[in-house]
Amino acid sequence: MGYVAVKGGEEAIKNSLSFYDEEFKGDIKPKDIRESLSFAVDKIMSEGSLYSKKLSSVAIKKSAGDLLNAAFFLRAHRSSCARVGMAKTINTDDMRIIRRVSSAFKDIQGGQILGPSNDYEVKLILKKVANKTIWSEFISDDIFVESALKPLRNKGLIKELKKDREIADITRIFPNSPYPRSAVLQIMSRGEGGSMLAFAYTTMRGYGDVHPTIGDLRIGKCDVKFTHPFTSKEVKIAEIESTSCEAVGTLEKQEDGSTKLTTGYGFCFGFNETKAISMAILDISLYSSSHSIGSGSIASDFDMILHHIDGVESMGFTNHYKLPHYVTFQSNLQVLMNAKEHNGGEK
Amino acid sequence: MRFAFLDEDAKKEIRRATLKAIAIPGYQVSFASRELPIARGWGTGGLQVTLSIITQKDSLKVIDQGCDGSVNAVNIRNFITSVTNVETTNEVDKASIIQSRHRIPEKQMQEGQVLVLQVPEPEVLTNVEANASKQKIMHANSDYAKLWVLLYEDTSQFGDSRIGNRYPVMVNDRYVMDPSPIPKYDTLNLDNSKALVLLGAGREKKIYAVPPYTKVEPLKFDDREFKVEDFSGQKCQRCGASGVYMDEVHVDNGKTLYYCNDTSYCDEFLESRNA
Repeated sequence: MGYVAVKGGEEAIKNSLSFYDEEFKGDIKPKDIRESLSFAVDKIMSEGSLYSKKLSSVAIKKSAGDLLNAAFFLRAHRSSCARVGMAKTINTDDMRIIRRVSSAFKDIQGGQILGPSNDYEVKLILKKVANKTIWSEFISDDIFVESALKPLRNKGLIKELKKDREIADITRIFPNSPYPRSAVLQIMSRGEGGSMLAFAYTTMRGYGDVHPTIGDLRIGKCDVKFTHPFTSKEVKIAEIESTSCEAVGTLEKQEDGSTKLTTGYGFCFGFNETKAISMAILDISLYSSSHSIGSGSIASDFDMILHHIDGVESMGFTNHYKLPHYVTFQSNLQVLMNAKEHNGGEK
Repeated sequence: MRFAFLDEDAKKEIRRATLKAIAIPGYQVSFASRELPIARGWGTGGLQVTLSIITQKDSLKVIDQGCDGSVNAVNIRNFITSVTNVETTNEVDKASIIQSRHRIPEKQMQEGQVLVLQVPEPEVLTNVEANASKQKIMHANSDYAKLWVLLYEDTSQFGDSRIGNRYPVMVNDRYVMDPSPIPKYDTLNLDNSKALVLLGAGREKKIYAVPPYTKVEPLKFDDREFKVEDFSGQKCQRCGASGVYMDEVHVDNGKTLYYCNDTSYCDEFLESRNA
């Protein structure tokens, strides 16, 4: 079997691209994507690590709905943007919430606010009858509530992790082990939702020891504040939609001898509850000692998690196997032939 | 739409699995769990059991975390009534089938009634052995040594098992079973229950059962007390009941108040007090 020489690539690529445009791209406007596919747009902002609904919808259009590729577009664009500086830390207790639930308590300060959600929609794809009662009045007041775990935290029941003295920026330095906590959270916050979900799911099915309870899950808007370079005053420069989740793990003995509850934190751009919950569970799994005497935990290994949840990386590398590999494959074949010869010239 | 949503073959299969489960108390019977228009992990196991056994004559009660009015209970109840048109009730006595998540009703259920519990993780051995084929062998040999080691390690470090809810129970002196995430307080009520208890796990595709008058014992060392959740000294702020499972409510002034977790029990208690 002979290889056909791979040449004339340039023209082939041009043709392939115009064929792709013709075959896969319709005439949907990015604006329509932005308004109708908001969760896809949010997912791409989060994984693309760039808060722009506009660019995110353009990326989805350009990739014809291949969301891994869309995040890739956004990340690539990000590399062309200058880094201006570091905004003030956002406290998600100050979020203007539109939805906040806690499954740890029946009733909480500020109440359970279901907000806009399709959790309790019966997923009948062909259901023709819409809801009979249509509620069209929603409160427009700003709602701020503290985390539902605040009472437990005030009582000193919750384990507190040490804060990093300096906040990492993984877009500038990708850390080595031991990984600073701020870097770990950043990597997870822009990780690929599906990969994170899968790893988080392992901890619930015996490969780990996490039995999470959602302490506080919220979506809403957070102010982004920045120190003005000339006036040195703090100014609000933006407002970002985001999701945050605090999950409670189990009890753990602390170095000072006290026993406390472990918690994990999840945060991402846009509305993506599954991702924020997955992140919170991974956070618990990474930072809490495991008591399991069963099989080893996969998701409590920093290297395992931090190097395998980035969609742009894993998708890119997996697809790179489509590139010509005949040089390396030729060398593999040689090894096979040598081995056969070594075994007495087997046929 | 078809009565009780599922096609008749699916119902028949689920009923056969259920009968087998009743014949071998505590043993997990596999079944081909169907996708429902309600998400996996939201009660689809219990829902399939209910849908397969429900008839037009039944009266249904659905509770979630002790509450008839909680969102998931409402959602499941609405779905079941939309496909069956059966009567629903909040009262334990009037229900023939009670589907529940995380609680057994305070009021004792009677012969002829069925309690369907929704189960997220049916395999009690998962935390000590993740491999499913090994779990199967361990169950076959009634080999629960690893669970005992876990219990021992927890007891030596924390004075008791770290398991709060879904506490492992030995059923009929043969199979250790996950009782679904009910509190320890409820675990004791499984023992010698007058009602049939069916447990359904949709995502993990398992059905198992505790038939009426079956011995159910929490796994514990002989010299250790099985400590259930303690609400002694607390009274329900609404109805005044005590000695029941309570919800802790942290109110705005920093105080903690207690309420009956079982809302239909609370209603009945209040009514009897006012009568």
